[in-house]
Amino acid sequence: MALRQLSFKRPSIKPLTIWLASLGLLLLVGAAGALRTFAKGLQVTGLSDQVPWGLWITIDLSAIALGAGAFTFSAVVYVFRIERFEPIARPAVFVGFLGYSSAMIALALDIGRPDRFWHPLVFWNVHSVLWEITWCVVLYSSVLVVEFLPVLFESALFDRWPWLRDWGHKLHRATPIVAILGMALSLLHQSSLGATYGVLSGRAIWFKPSLPILFILSAVSSGIGLTLLVTILVGKFQQTRFLRLDLQREISRFLGYALLAYLYLKLWDWAATSYYSHAPGTAQSLARLNATTPYTPTFWLLEIALGALLPLIVMLVPRLRRDDRWVIAACAFVVVGVIVNRWNTTLSGLVAPPDWSPGVLGTGAVASYLPSMTEVAVGLGILAYALTMFTLGVKYLPVFREISGDE
Amino acid sequence: MTKRKKDPALLTRRDAAKIIGATGATFAITQIITSGPLSPEAVEGIGRSTHEQGAAADRGHEWHMVIDLSTCIGCQYCIWACQAVNAVPDDRMRWNVGFSEQTEGGTDFYMTRPCLHCREAPCVKVCPVGATWVREDGIVVMDYERCIGCRYCEVACPYDVRRFNWGDAITENRYQPTWGEAEVEPRPRGVVEKCTFCVHRIDRALEYGLTPGVDLHASPACVEVCPVNARIFGDILDPESPVSKYLAQNETFRLREDFGTEPKVHYVRPEREV
Repeated sequence: MALRQLSFKRPSIKPLTIWLASLGLLLLVGAAGALRTFAKGLQVTGLSDQVPWGLWITIDLSAIALGAGAFTFSAVVYVFRIERFEPIARPAVFVGFLGYSSAMIALALDIGRPDRFWHPLVFWNVHSVLWEITWCVVLYSSVLVVEFLPVLFESALFDRWPWLRDWGHKLHRATPIVAILGMALSLLHQSSLGATYGVLSGRAIWFKPSLPILFILSAVSSGIGLTLLVTILVGKFQQTRFLRLDLQREISRFLGYALLAYLYLKLWDWAATSYYSHAPGTAQSLARLNATTPYTPTFWLLEIALGALLPLIVMLVPRLRRDDRWVIAACAFVVVGVIVNRWNTTLSGLVAPPDWSPGVLGTGAVASYLPSMTEVAVGLGILAYALTMFTLGVKYLPVFREISGDE
Repeated sequence: MTKRKKDPALLTRRDAAKIIGATGATFAITQIITSGPLSPEAVEGIGRSTHEQGAAADRGHEWHMVIDLSTCIGCQYCIWACQAVNAVPDDRMRWNVGFSEQTEGGTDFYMTRPCLHCREAPCVKVCPVGATWVREDGIVVMDYERCIGCRYCEVACPYDVRRFNWGDAITENRYQPTWGEAEVEPRPRGVVEKCTFCVHRIDRALEYGLTPGVDLHASPACVEVCPVNARIFGDILDPESPVSKYLAQNETFRLREDFGTEPKVHYVRPEREV
C-alpha cells in the first residue's frame, strides 16, 4: 500500500533533486580533498615557499569580496534609512553569510595548523593587518549571524517554538546598531585585505597605497553584483519577481556608479604605476609576468573590459539596464572580474619575486604555480557548499519574498 | 537608570533574578574560558620560549655577519653544516641558500644567503600572532608553538629566506654526522622556520663567557665551518669584534637596501677593490 502510493506520487526525478545530488557529489569530492589535506599536510597542494598563497587564498578573498553586498545594503537600509531597499537587504545578508563561511572553510584548510586557528584572538600583534582582518572577520561573521537569525526563526521550521521567533523579532530591532558595527568592521577588513599586499615594500607590483581602496571598491561592486544576480535568477526560476522593477533599476544604477568609482581609481592606478612611470620594480615584474603568464591579457580583458567597463555601460545606459538579460550578464561579469582580480593580485607579486642577488644569473627568476587536484577538489567542495546552502535557504527560509499586490 | 534603582518599587523580584542570573552566567563563562586551554597559565605556556629578548638582558649586543664574496670558494660547507646542525634534512628547505653566480663584468662567484635578520623585518610586522620578532640583540627568531602556518611572513619576505613545513619532518639527514649533529629539535608540520644565526649557540656561549664570532664553537655553524673565513660574525657594538673590524676595513653592501629592511648581513663584492 505504502509502496504503491509512493510510486504513484513520483512522476519523474525533479530538476532540484538532480541539482542537489550533483552538489552532494561535489561536496564529497571536496571532503575527500579536505581529508587528504588534513592527513598529509599542505604538501598535497601545488604551493611552494616561493608561491605560498594560491587558489585557496583567491577563494577567501573572492568570497569575502562577494559577500560585501551584506554590509552595503545593511548600511543603506538600516544606517542611512533608505528603507525602500529592504527587499534586497535580506538576500544580501544571506549571500554575505555564505561568502564569509566559505572563506572560513578555505582558511581553515589553508593554514598549516588549523588546530591553532584561535591564536590570533589570544596572541595579538596589533601591527599586523592580518591580525586585524582575523578579528574583523570573526566579529563581522557574528554580525551576519545576528542579522540573519530573525530570518531563520521566521521559517516554518521554527513554527514549534514561537518564543524563538519573538526573540528573533526583538533581535531584529537591534539591526540598526548591528548594521553600524557591521559597516565599520567591513570597511576595515575589506580594505585591509588589499593592504595585506599593499604594505609589502619588498614587492613592487603590490607596494602601493591604492590597493586597499581598490579592494573595497571592487568588493562593494561585486557584492552588489552577486546579490542582484541571485535575486533576479531565483526570480526567473520561480517565475516571479522579488524586486519591483523601479527598485531593481535603481540598484543597477547604484552598481554602475560603484563600478565607475572603481574604474576611475583603477585608471589612475594603472596610469601612475605602469603608463607614466617605468619604475624598475614594477616594470620588471610586469615583463616577467607577461613572459610566463597571461597577466596583461587577463587584466585588460577580464578585469577591466568584461569585469568592469561592460557592466558599467549596461548599468548606466537606461535602455540596457531595463533588460533583465543584460543585467544578469553584467552582474555575472562583475563576479568573474573580481575573482580574476583577486587571483591576479595574489599571484602577480609572488610569481615575479624581487631580485636580491648582486650577480646577473640569479636575477629575473620567475616562480610558477599550478593548483593541485586536491586544491581544485577542495575549491569545488567549497563552491558546492555555498550553492547547496543557497538552494536550501531559498527553498526553506523566507530569504526572498514576492512583491505583495499593494506595492 | 540611577533614578530607577533608587526606587525600590521599580526593581521587581524578576529584575533582581535577572541581575543575579546574568552575574552568575558571566562569572561561569569567565571561569570556563579562563580555565581550559585559554587560561592565563596555558596561554603563557605557549610561545616565546626559546628567546625572550636575547640572553640575560643583553642590550649590549647586536649580531651582524659579513659574507666576503671575494674570499668564498663555493665549497658549500656552510650550507651543509647548517643543514646538519639545524636539522634541515630537506634540500628544498635550506635556510642557507647558495648558487653559482656571475657579476656583470663576468667574474664568477658563489652567492650564499642566510636570513638577513632585518632590523625593519617585513615578516615580523605582518605575523598575525606575533610568532616571529626581532630580539633586542637583533636576531629575528621564530616561535614554532605560536605559528599558525598562514605563511604571510613568507609572502612578506623579499629575500625568500623563510621555509614552510609542507609535510612531516624527514628523519633521515644525510649531512649528519659528517657536517655536525642536530643541535635543535626538528620542527612540526605546518609551521614556518628560518635561519636563526644559530641563536641556541649564542645564548649558551654568553652564559659560559664565550664571545660569539671569536670563539668559533659559539658562532653560527656556517661561520664555524667555513675553511677560508669568508663568513665573519660578531657584535657590531663591540669595536674590537671581528665583524666590526671587517666592516671598518672593507667596502661592503647589503642586499636591496632600497627595500628599507635594514639587513644585518653585509657583503663584500666579488671583485675586491683593495
